[in-house]
Amino acid sequence: MSTVYLSNPALTINSVNLTDQATSAVLTYVYEQLETTAFGDDGRLFGGAAVTSLQNNTFEVTLYQDYSASSTEATIFGLVGIQTTIEVSPTAAGLATPSATSPLFTLQDCYLESHTPINASLGELSTITLTFTGGTLTKAVS
Amino acid sequence: METYLVTSDRLIFKRGDIVTAKDLQHVNIQLLINGGHISPQVVKKSAKTKDTETETEKDF
Repeated sequence: MSTVYLSNPALTINSVNLTDQATSAVLTYVYEQLETTAFGDDGRLFGGAAVTSLQNNTFEVTLYQDYSASSTEATIFGLVGIQTTIEVSPTAAGLATPSATSPLFTLQDCYLESHTPINASLGELSTITLTFTGGTLTKAVS
Repeated sequence: METYLVTSDRLIFKRGDIVTAKDLQHVNIQLLINGGHISPQVVKKSAKTKDTETETEKDF
């Protein structure tokens, strides 16, 4: 069975492992769609034999807020407005030793536009949802 | 090349490891320092010896 049951993924943000604070992660790999339709074509065409458009990736992650040293807030607050690198893998082992069944995705030079240092309601655990945009995505399997 | 001592358990490196800026490519190093994950290593200069006898002679 090859369907993924995501039970033990791992991620780093700016090289800091925040796996134990994460509850969801969505990495979207995008090449912008450029139309290449020309006279004589029977239908609309996009792209070509080789990719020539720009990547436009996003990575959305939800983390528990934690104000203790070296944890969520200490890692995230300074990242707003600058570029950083994200690493994410379906398994913890994939971070250190990626493989075909546990690839390591690296989103390099992505940008964090906003952060909600305070996002809390009475009687609930405080969480933050971050969206990193842009950057270049690579996939390592070894 | 600058070196850093790993002071956190949240990096891919082990606490106590010495890493270089090359190991932290594409990472904001200043934020890691601010967050308490790494600490810059200060290169210790060798102590200079001082010849006190010669200086004493010069005084005369």
